[in-house]
Formats: sequence, structure tokens, C-alpha cells
Amino acid sequence: MKGTFTKNFNPLITFEHKRDTYGFAVRPQHLQRYREYSNIYKVEEEERSDRWEDFLERQAESAQSPVNGISEEEGNAASHTEAKIQEADTVVEKTLQEGDTIVDKTLQEADTIVENVEEASSGSKSAAEDPVENVPEQEEASAEKDTKMHKVQIWTHIRPSLISIEDMMSFRVKKRKNLLNEEQGVGRKNNLSVIEEERPSKGAPEEDSEDEFYDMERSDPVQDTSSLDNVNSSSGGDAVSPEPFFPWKVELESLVRGGVPMALRGELWQAFVGVKARRLDGYYHGLLATEVNAQSDKDFVSASNGTSKGSNTGGRCANEKWKGQIEKDLPRTFPGHPALDEDGRNALRRLLTAYARHNPSVGYCQAMNFFAGLLLLLMPEENAFWTLVGIIDDYFDGYYSEEMIESQVDQLVLEDLVRERFPKLVNHLDYLGVQVAWVTGPWFLSIFVNMLPWESVLRVWDVLLFEGNRVMLFRTALALLELYGPALVTTKDAGDAVTLLQSLSGSTFDSSQLVLTASMGYQTVNEARLQELREKHRSSVIAAMEERSKGPCVRKDSLGLASKLYSFKNDHGPLTKEANAAEGLGDLQTNGDLCPLELIGDTDADSLPDLQEQVVWLKVELCRLLEEKRSAVLRAEELETALMEMVKQDNRRQLSAKVEQLEQEVAELRQALTDKQEQERVMLQVLMRVEQEQKLTEDARRFAEQDAAAQRYAANILQEKYEGAMASLAQMEKRAVMAETMLEATLQYQSGQVKAVQSPRAVHRDSSTVQPTQEPAQDIPTRKISLLSRPFGLGWRDRNKEPIEGNINESGQSTVTLQKDTNGQQ
Amino acid sequence: MATSGNKNINAKLVLLGDVGAGKSSLVLRFVKGQFVDFQESTIGAAFFSQTLAVNDATVKFEIWDTAGQERYHSLAPMYYRGAAAAVVVYDITNQASFARAKKWVQELQAQGNPNMVMALAGNKADLPDARKVTTEEAQTYAQENGLFLMETSAKTAINVNDVFYEIAKRLSQAQQVQNPSGMVLMDRATEKATSSSCCS
Repeated sequence: MKGTFTKNFNPLITFEHKRDTYGFAVRPQHLQRYREYSNIYKVEEEERSDRWEDFLERQAESAQSPVNGISEEEGNAASHTEAKIQEADTVVEKTLQEGDTIVDKTLQEADTIVENVEEASSGSKSAAEDPVENVPEQEEASAEKDTKMHKVQIWTHIRPSLISIEDMMSFRVKKRKNLLNEEQGVGRKNNLSVIEEERPSKGAPEEDSEDEFYDMERSDPVQDTSSLDNVNSSSGGDAVSPEPFFPWKVELESLVRGGVPMALRGELWQAFVGVKARRLDGYYHGLLATEVNAQSDKDFVSASNGTSKGSNTGGRCANEKWKGQIEKDLPRTFPGHPALDEDGRNALRRLLTAYARHNPSVGYCQAMNFFAGLLLLLMPEENAFWTLVGIIDDYFDGYYSEEMIESQVDQLVLEDLVRERFPKLVNHLDYLGVQVAWVTGPWFLSIFVNMLPWESVLRVWDVLLFEGNRVMLFRTALALLELYGPALVTTKDAGDAVTLLQSLSGSTFDSSQLVLTASMGYQTVNEARLQELREKHRSSVIAAMEERSKGPCVRKDSLGLASKLYSFKNDHGPLTKEANAAEGLGDLQTNGDLCPLELIGDTDADSLPDLQEQVVWLKVELCRLLEEKRSAVLRAEELETALMEMVKQDNRRQLSAKVEQLEQEVAELRQALTDKQEQERVMLQVLMRVEQEQKLTEDARRFAEQDAAAQRYAANILQEKYEGAMASLAQMEKRAVMAETMLEATLQYQSGQVKAVQSPRAVHRDSSTVQPTQEPAQDIPTRKISLLSRPFGLGWRDRNKEPIEGNINESGQSTVTLQKDTNGQQ
Repeated sequence: MATSGNKNINAKLVLLGDVGAGKSSLVLRFVKGQFVDFQESTIGAAFFSQTLAVNDATVKFEIWDTAGQERYHSLAPMYYRGAAAAVVVYDITNQASFARAKKWVQELQAQGNPNMVMALAGNKADLPDARKVTTEEAQTYAQENGLFLMETSAKTAINVNDVFYEIAKRLSQAQQVQNPSGMVLMDRATEKATSSSCCS
């Protein structure tokens, strides 16, 4: 199975660079982002292929036993006759598919195999079915000229692994049909369901499995309430084991939310929509065959065209009307898509024509061309037809009809939800005068085709088709508003807001984020809730519709009266009271307006007097005007607050200007301060340096003084010494003079004595008295000198050393004098 | 709704007309200067915006390009409500589209903003050989109904910008007459009041 997956999407990827994997054009401004995301898509695709494969394998295992049991017994007999038809079938198919890039060949091959298996499994039923299907086809092929594509219309069954899913979903379809049957047993739909009811009787095994799925469905909480009602009415096979299917569906749901693999998408979508259960053999060909007959009618029908309004009775008349529109839209559907060549467009034409004939009350509505085109890219023509039928008739019942009432109702419902969920955003949009519906209306009508990047569109479709209702539309829209609300709030005018929302949603490439936000974040937005809200709004939409369909004359009249009433009302009381009154009236209206409107609708308008009619219109007008007034008041309040804000802002601007000025001044002052501080610092430094210098000089001075003192002191000492020396010198001199005189005196005396008595004994006596015992052997003359010189020889030598010689000479002299002296003393 | 402030006018403009008359092509030509032979069908409506400078004002157009199919008619009021200008487009090669255009004009006169500037654009003027609606016929109708007519071609760009330029000019003149001076907020409020009482 995996082989077919990869084979299937690989060739598709190699499209020209301005088209995406599906062959759709990528807008030039999104090319870059698309390239960024294409790798992510590829990875996601691989992952989900694996997951689905795993799921389907397990599914096959659990389903194998019952299916095989039947096929082996009943199928064998039928399969022989079957096989030949099948083979012929596939040959035609293959050759034609070659020219058709839409459906991959490998897929087709797989399908035909599948077909065989399936035919075998459903046994006798398909034996009766297939000849019917193929024979008229061949007849057509020979009858018509553009035979080529008609053979491609061949109905193909989906692969067996998906059959259980298909059965489950088919059951939903049958339930709806039964419901319809009960409600309105008129018209063509009745015929459809009669045939539908006959079918199960053909194959008993099918019915068995249906009952099982039936139970499963019933236990599913997501299902809509209307189906629950039906369950009670026809709970036949209640006892059949529902357990094994319950977890299975939950898993399937999460798988679908994670995305459907490209290779399986076409078939799974068919399964989801319940194509098998919807299909009537030959119905599609029958619709197209009438074309030939219609063509002959055309000439005289065209004369009366435009007058009829698509009612059931004028089926053929309306025919012409949509015919032209379809023709106009054919080339305007995915222009340039490689698969929509001449053949593709022919298929599209047939598909849309068939649908318009199938459901004349809808006919053809723009947007269906895109849906049909998309479906044709994914599946064979008739399969696409039944899928389209499922989508438009069931999922979007009342959406694309002439009045598009459900579409308008849904927008009101969405507005309610948005108001509830995003009050801030809605406030802002109200302020800008933007209605959410301006943008979301096209989203819903196109089911996001051309509104989001394709990957996201397909992911939304996956979930939408699986769930079988429009809940996913709402959830996706809410998710988009959640994602982009914050950006929208910053916009300044209506144009910017709408442009932003359009461009942001147009570049929602993160499809997984979108789908998960939508399906996980808005669980409370479910079918029951939506139905409730729809009921609430439907009456007002219908009323507005009726009003518009009345001529402008009536309207103008009522307008005049209404405006009088409005101004009258306007004079009274405070605003709040009025708002309340308006609300009260609004309620009254919603409750009561259906009755008068029905009255008008049922009875002939001419028979009623104008007055009553006008009263009704007046009421409606009044309510509308009051509502408008209320919104005007709200808007005025908003504007007032806006004004206040602006004024505040203005004040703020002035204040901030002042503050700025002051700040500047402060800054300047600060600058000055710092300058001054710096100067001070510099001054201080200078001062310190000066001080230091001063200190240095002081020190120097002190040192100098000390030096000076020391020197003075030294000088003094020297002076003293000098004086002392001088004194002692003077003393010495005196003594020397004394000694000289004494010496002279003694000399004189001696000479006198010598002359008288010359006795050497005197000298000898002298020496013996001085040294009587000590040194008798000493030289007497030296001893004499040393003895004599000692008392003043010491001082002399200390004070004057230079004149030693002189001194010695002197001392020699002085010894003499000393001797004389001592002698003189003695 | 048109609002002015410092000669900046925001004007909501709506395009109405039959299927395939060329509404989207006109807008695309005006806004992006592009033309494609097969313009994808418009579902619901599409939005564009473009700014034009006229004389002493700049007009920012908020353009709603509506779907042409008859049944989408029911959604149209949502888009033309409060619009300051409308371009009703018909295809000069298609008489039915002219009839449809007349219906639109009627509806706008009955339900639209009374001061709405309306233009009638006869598109596909590049196909004179296939012409089904004569200029005289359209001109007479336009004069009777107080519209201005221009025959345009989105394909060759003839008169396309002129239509929008003329509208912008008329809007700025109307604006000056209506409010020679005053505050933005006041303008808006009165504008809202008039628009809410005159259209649904």
C-alpha cells in the first residue's frame, strides 16, 4: 500500500515552480513562504501516510473475517461473469487516464483491483448492478461525438481498506434521507430515497454491517441532535456489539484532524460524504442524457428566459439561465491549472450541469465551480458528482439556493460567536466600522477555496467532510480570528483592517496549526450550539429578505413613517431607557414577526388593506431603526472615548514636551555641575601640589636651618676652642716669657755663681734627688729633658703639631729653661 | 462612508454589475495595473484598497468588488451600505448586463446613501465590433439618473483610472462643500448618523 502512496504524490510535486503540489497557482507574494513550507508539508505528508497505513492495516485485520466469509461463499459465482466486464472497463479507463493528469494511473490500477475485490465481496448485488452501469455508457459512447470523456465518468469504488469508513459514513447519509422522507414526502427526493430504500434488500450482509455502524454512530457525542431523534424511531439492531467501533472512530477523527494523505484524499472524501449510499445507478448519466432533449427545447425556451425564478416547476426554463453562467465560469475556474484542459473543462461542465438538473432549487451557484473543479482533481467524474451532491445538498443545504438564507444566517451566528469570544477585537472593528461578515462571508461561501493556501484549504475540507456539517467553517474562522486578532487590533482604519485580515489569512501556510487551533480550541462550538443560534437568527434574515423583495415604493412609504416614529422616539427619555426599549421590541419582533409575515406570505397581498401591511412594515422599520440608533449611540460613545483619549494624548504630548525640556535643562545643569566639579578637582590637585612643594621647601628650610645651627654651633665651638687655644697660647707665652725671664734670671744668677763658685756638684745633686733609685743607669741629659718637658710638652703637642720642629727646638730651649725653672723652684 | 481629515478622505466604494461584466478586472487594473484573460470568479466579495491624489486631497478607496451572480444579490446590501461611491459595471457587448446595471442603479437610489457618487462603467470597450449597448443609450440613461458614464476597458486600461479619478474628484468636492472646516470626529459622527437613517 505504501508503494502506491509514494508513487502517487511524487509526480505531482514536479509541477512548474509557480504552482504548488496540487497544480494550483501560488500567488507571487506567497512564493517564498510556500517554498519554506513545502518541505514541512512533505515531511507531514510522509508522517501521515505512515499513520494512515498503520491504521488501515489494523482496520483491515479486524474487518477481514466477516468480509471474507461472505465473499468466498457468494462472490465466487458472480466474479466470473464480473471479471470480463471489469477488464473491459479498466482497459478503457487506463487508456483514457493517460491523457488525463488529474487521476494518477497507479491509483486507478489499484482501484480496479479494489473494484474486483469489492465486487466480489458484495456478491450478488454488484452482479445485478454493473451491467446496468456499463451498458448505457457504451451506448452513449457510440451515440455522442465527444465520447472521450464520457468513458472516464466510470464509477470507481474506493479501495477495500476504506470500506469500513465508507460504510460508517454512508449510514449517516441514509439516516438523513430517512429523515427527509418523514418530513417531506414530496418531489424528486422522495423518489431518490425510495430507490435508496430498495437497495439494502439486495444485499443482506450490507444491512448487518450497517446496524453495527448505526450503533457506533449513536454513541458518538459529536453527532448532531437530529440524528439522535432518528435513532429512537428506528432502533432495530440495538443489541449488536457497538464496543469495538467506538475507539476506532475516535482514532479516525484524530487522524483526519492530522490530515488525510494525498493519495487517499479523493477516496476518503467520498467515504466521508457517503458517496456509495447516495449513488443511484445511471442517475448521473440520466441527468446528462436529458441534455439532448433539452437542446431541442432551447430555442423557444430562450425567449422566455430571465422571467422565471428557478422554481421547481420551471426546471427547463431555469436551465438556460444557469447554462450561460456555467459557461462563463468554466474558464474562470482555476485558470491555468494543468489538469483543467479542454477535457477537464468538459468534465466540469457536465458535472455542474448534472448538479443543476439534479437540484433545480439550487441550480448553479458561483463557488460550486471551484468545488466541482477541486473534486474532479481528486476523483473520477461521477464520484465527484455524488460528492458534490453530498456537500451542497446536505452539508450546505440552503446555502447556495436562490436566497442564500442559510449563508446569511451563518454569518449572524458567527458574529455572535465572535462577539462572545473576541470582545476586544469586535470592539475595535465596530469602532473602525468593519463588519466581520464582510470578510467571513466569502470565506464561508467559498469554503476557504482561494482564501487560504491550498494545503490549509484541503486540511479544513478533510475535517469538514468528515464531520458532515459546517461546524468546521466556524471553528476555522474563529481560529483565524484568534491567530490574527492581535494584529487587527492595531489597525487604524477599515481598509487597513480588511486588507490585513485578507492578506494574513491568505498566507496561513501553517495548516496543522490552523486545523488544530480550530478543532481543539473551539470544541464548545458544536452543531447543537450552532443550530440553536441559527434558529435565533433565521427569522430576522427571512424578514429582511421579504422586505427587500417588496418593491421600493412600499419601503419608501414605511421609511417615512418610520422615521417620524424614530424622531418621536428620539425626543423621549435617556438613552439607556431607549436601548432597553429597543431590546424589548427586538425580542417582540423576533417572536412575533413570523406570524404577520406568514400571513402576508400565505394570503394574497392584494386582498389585505394597505394599512395592515404598513403596520407590519412600521414595526419592522421601527425595530431596525431603534437598533441602528442603539448602534449609533454606542458608536457615539466610542467616538467620545476616542476623543477623550486623543485629548489626553494631546495633553500628554505637551506634558512630555515640557518634561523633555526640563530634562534637557537638568541635563545641562548637571553638565555644568560636573564641569565645575572637575575644575574643583583640578584646583585641589594644584593646591595639593603647591602644598607639597611648600612642605618640601619648608623641610628644606628646616634642614638648612638645622645645618646653619649646626654650623654656627660648630663655629662657636671652634671659636671657643680658638679662644681657649688663644688664651692658653697667651698663658704659655706669658709662662714662656716668665720662664725666659726666670731663665735669664737664673742664667744671670748662675753666671754670677759660676763666677763665684764653680761646683759641678749642684747638677749632680739635683739628679740624685729626682731619681734616687729607679733609673740610675739612665742617660742623665735625656731624663732631664723628658722630666722637664712633660708638664707642658703634652699640651703643646696637641694644639700645634706643625711647629714640632720648632717646638723641639724650643723645647730643647725650654728644657733648658725648665731645668732652670725647676732648678729655680727647687 | 467618507471621512475627511487634513484633506485625507477614506471612501468606501462598491462595484456592482452582472456576472462577467468585468468588475474584478476593472479593480485589478486600477489597483495592480494587471489584466488576465480569465479572472477567477469572485465568491461573495473581494476587497482592495488604493489611494489617489486629486487636487488638494488624497482619497483612499476601500473597494468592495462584489460577486455578480444574481443570487449573491442578497449579500450586496452588506457591501454597499454606507458606501460613498459605487461603480455600476456593464458589458457593452451584452444587453442583459446593461439591464442588470439599471437594476443596480435603481436599488442604490432606493436604498443606498443619497449622497453616493455613482459611476456607470461600460466595460469591454476594446470590443467595438461586438457592441450591443450604444454609447448614446447609456449616456441618456446616465444623464437621466444623475450618474456619469465612462466606457472602459480593463484589458487596454482605457478610462479605468479615469473613472476612479473622477469619483475621487467628486468626493473631495462634496467633502469641501459639506464640511468646510471642523473636526474629524464631528464629521464622522454626523456621517454615521445620516448613513444610518438613510440606508439599511
